Amino acid sequence: MAYNVLIVDDSKSMRKVILKTLQLSGFSLGECLEASNGREALEILEGKWIDLILADVHMPVMDGMGFIVSLRDKDICGDTPVVFVTTEANEERLNQLMKLGASGYIRKPFRPEEIRALLSRIMGETDAFRMGTSVETRDF
Amino acid sequence: MLLEWEQVLKHVISDVLETMFFSMVDFGECGPEDQCFDYGSEIHLLSHAGCTAISLRVSEEFARMITANFLGVEENQVNDDDMKDSLKELANMIGGGYHARVKEAGWRLGIPEVWKIGPESMDSTQRDAELDFAFLGEPAGSATVNYLPA
Repeated sequence: MAYNVLIVDDSKSMRKVILKTLQLSGFSLGECLEASNGREALEILEGKWIDLILADVHMPVMDGMGFIVSLRDKDICGDTPVVFVTTEANEERLNQLMKLGASGYIRKPFRPEEIRALLSRIMGETDAFRMGTSVETRDF
Repeated sequence: MLLEWEQVLKHVISDVLETMFFSMVDFGECGPEDQCFDYGSEIHLLSHAGCTAISLRVSEEFARMITANFLGVEENQVNDDDMKDSLKELANMIGGGYHARVKEAGWRLGIPEVWKIGPESMDSTQRDAELDFAFLGEPAGSATVNYLPA
């Protein structure tokens, strides 16, 4: 199964790098859409089926925290997994994102295998355990 | 002897450059004290007591090379906006890594800034305590950490 992915990051370069990382890691990628902040992402989600969202935390207009709050409040895309790809080091803020419904987070800098392992696990692929789980993620 | 901030910064810069920009740098005296670089970037770690500014200055050659590596393109395909965007991300990741290692409670990361250092632009980076780094023996850049009380 190929997954539609939405990448939300204010950095065009980082969006490109995340996309390339997904492609190189062998992730079953369907359509890939991009947004430069949370508000843009919500607009895309209103009209498009997305299987997975990869979002930054620090963004102008609407940051990652505001984005996930709106997403869950408005019940847009139901339980679509949201994974934060972030430089955020504040444990309290990361825990808050998880409590708000994030499926996991990956700290930058990251290695492709870390993204692959986390996403495989979240998307329920059986090879997730074969790839290792040396990423920071918590389940609810 | 390296100061604490230098040790942390050295570790963080190496980690970020190796992991995401596929580049290894050497630290130490790399050139003349008044070495000129082409791009500056800075990120602030903010707290109620003040802010810690992490500043970087890099040569255009180095900025172009790491940007090409970061984006997975040829160096001749890299433009000025790509370099600025990549240097912002570099500052962002270095700031996040520094924060993670010093583990100061109550800090939060600011938004990174980047600028081109030209004759008419102000390069406000403090130059008396810098961590110089080189790529393949050539001066590539320098970094510094300054604490600015509120």
